[in-house]
Amino acid sequence: MLKLFEREVIAVDELSLSQTGIDVRDLSVELNDKRVLNEINIRIPKHKITALIGQSGCGKTTLLSSFNRMNELNRRHKTTGEVWINERNIYNKRENLAALRSRVGMVFQRPNPFPMSIYENVCFGLKIKGETSRRVLDDAVENALEQAALWSEVRDRLFDSALTLSGGQQQRLMIARALALSPQILLLDEPTSALDPLTTLHIEELINQLKKNCTIVIVTHNMQQAARVSDYAAFLHQGELIEFADSDSLFTLPAKQQTEDYITGRYG
Amino acid sequence: MQAMNTSWFNLKQSVTEVTSLLCITLIISAFLGLVTFIGLQGIRYFIPSNVHLVTITYPDRDEQRYFQQETTDKETLLADINVRLVQQYSDNPAGKPTAQVTTIENVIEATTDRGERLYGTFDRLTSDTEEKLPIESLDNLLLTVNLLQSQLHDVQENQLMPIHRAIAILNERKVDRDVELYRSLKADFARWQAYVTEVNRRLSTFALVMVGADSQPIRIALDELDKLHFPNDLTFIDKIAVFFERISNFLLEPPKQAATSGGVFPAIFGTVLMVILMAVVVSPIGVIAAIYLYEYAPENKTTMLIRIGVSNMAAVPSVVYGVFGLGFFVYTLGGSIDQLIYAEKLPSPTFGAPGLLWASLTMGLLTLPVVIVATEEGLSRVPKGQRQGSYALGATKLETIFRVVLPMASPGILTGLILAVARAAGEVAPLILVGAVKFAPSLPVDTTFPFLHLERQFMHLGVFIYDGAFHSQIDANSASIMFASCMLLIFIVFALNITAIVFRSKLRERYERSLL
Repeated sequence: MLKLFEREVIAVDELSLSQTGIDVRDLSVELNDKRVLNEINIRIPKHKITALIGQSGCGKTTLLSSFNRMNELNRRHKTTGEVWINERNIYNKRENLAALRSRVGMVFQRPNPFPMSIYENVCFGLKIKGETSRRVLDDAVENALEQAALWSEVRDRLFDSALTLSGGQQQRLMIARALALSPQILLLDEPTSALDPLTTLHIEELINQLKKNCTIVIVTHNMQQAARVSDYAAFLHQGELIEFADSDSLFTLPAKQQTEDYITGRYG
Repeated sequence: MQAMNTSWFNLKQSVTEVTSLLCITLIISAFLGLVTFIGLQGIRYFIPSNVHLVTITYPDRDEQRYFQQETTDKETLLADINVRLVQQYSDNPAGKPTAQVTTIENVIEATTDRGERLYGTFDRLTSDTEEKLPIESLDNLLLTVNLLQSQLHDVQENQLMPIHRAIAILNERKVDRDVELYRSLKADFARWQAYVTEVNRRLSTFALVMVGADSQPIRIALDELDKLHFPNDLTFIDKIAVFFERISNFLLEPPKQAATSGGVFPAIFGTVLMVILMAVVVSPIGVIAAIYLYEYAPENKTTMLIRIGVSNMAAVPSVVYGVFGLGFFVYTLGGSIDQLIYAEKLPSPTFGAPGLLWASLTMGLLTLPVVIVATEEGLSRVPKGQRQGSYALGATKLETIFRVVLPMASPGILTGLILAVARAAGEVAPLILVGAVKFAPSLPVDTTFPFLHLERQFMHLGVFIYDGAFHSQIDANSASIMFASCMLLIFIVFALNITAIVFRSKLRERYERSLL
């Protein structure tokens, strides 16, 4: 397989705690009285890109959402187990959800810009945090848009409605919006599934650059994409973690038959 | 077989098409018919019409003559009168009088300050010095009358009032009546009083004398004369001027002559004020209730019961709300307020009587379900992705609601509010019970503290029309003012709805493009 990006790879079993971005221990999630995740144990490496792959409905998105407790927007949810970020279990009772979510950014499958200006969209999170200084906001907006490779395209129309942007631009705006809060972890839920191949490539390059500053977890249905961008990959099937390894091994020499079947397209 | 199937299908389709077309035609023609009928009837109130002299000659007694003002021409009027007479004398055809309609020139239509309309031909004008003046000197005489009136006003304000006050103060201090000051004040007062009497006497000599249809003289004092027309001699431009003058009078003047002439300004004012107060009360409560129901309420039986309650509230007949408002707001709540705060004025009630505040609250209660349902509808239109996006950026639930959800739901909220306002503007039954009256002596807003008098009764267009509908059985003029008010009400409600639609589409354009 063509290797696009250079990687320095540590085997997943040898990850030390300090190299771990998210440490998931015995995580089980029930949504609407249905068990979606079953006893998941995974250590997601820090400052790397980890891809979650698997069939639709296997629990990828649920796992991703449990890293910033977005599952709790669902009225009937039940989570057991622990998720450790920064040496703290985020499922403790006194966790400040707003603070957690500003540390763990998330970008969704479909771009969901607020019906406000581009500028307002990017500084939404900061304003929520209570930042009012115009200069700080201006700097943060420029910085975030630069990081999301959108600055050059929108610098002259920062105060136009975000809805006037194209789909790819909107998705980059969503990334910029999350980046404005300087998150440690960025969760991407099929960020390119609604975009054309060229824009997809654009965003993949962007993601690769972002890993310098954050741990990235990406859910994708696209095997090529997963192989292209990720350093590590986890295969989930019906709520179970089947295999977790560095991407090179997982996509070339999967240890489990199920994984091989899936990535070679025999089912799913 | 195939062909038959197709033709059968075609037939079914065309039947459906024709039926739906028929239904639409029916609806549109019913709507247009209503608007046209009300509009035509209402506009008659403003169009200057000819005055005809009707002479009815009885075989056995003196003939009867009167002036009648009609928009129709005299042939139609004659035919109408004949039809009426034939019906009236159906049992005694021999005694049936003959009618005759003539249009004479120079008929004067004089309107007094009290709203009376008098018809006649010009006889003479009188002043303090002359007994017989021509119509041309009317303007001069009116100037003199105005001058005298302002003199009178001036004397009353600047001379009589201070003396009166001074005397009152002396009386209060129980000063002896023989004191010099007291006597000089009394003398001054008497002198000015005499002056006023004299001016009044002079004023009363200025008059317009007309000859009525029955040849009797009609005398109108010039200081009571409001307007004077020659309805049969108006040019087209004059007529247009009169038309617009009447419209402005209708909109800006209070009703006169037991709501048969004049305008409806207090009713418009009362309606608007009541509706604004209602909106101020109902919008925050309704929106907060809807937010609770949609965003916070757990999905259990209690919530379900609340929802059922809200939709049932919308189905309760409005008169029931009126009775509730009277029993709860006026008697219970208002009565308690009176006992607590206005105890010194009892037994005459302050808030314990129907009034503006209670009417607004009652209407607010009545329209609350509309606002709640529309707001919930608006909230449910906000895409899930927007909420997720907001939460994912660290917003709390409250911040998400206020910064993201509510702006996007604003078209729905606005629709609900406008519907509520339109309903309250047209409601009658509950308002009669809780504070709307057919004639209020004063507006609920004036220049004395506290400026907005929530305890006052007020006039309302719907109630005004309802009242006019009773009068109209006996009086054609009041029927036409009623139709004119109906037209105004329809106009207001349409204008509100159109504003709502425009507003909503603007907001949708801004906030709901992300839905697509």
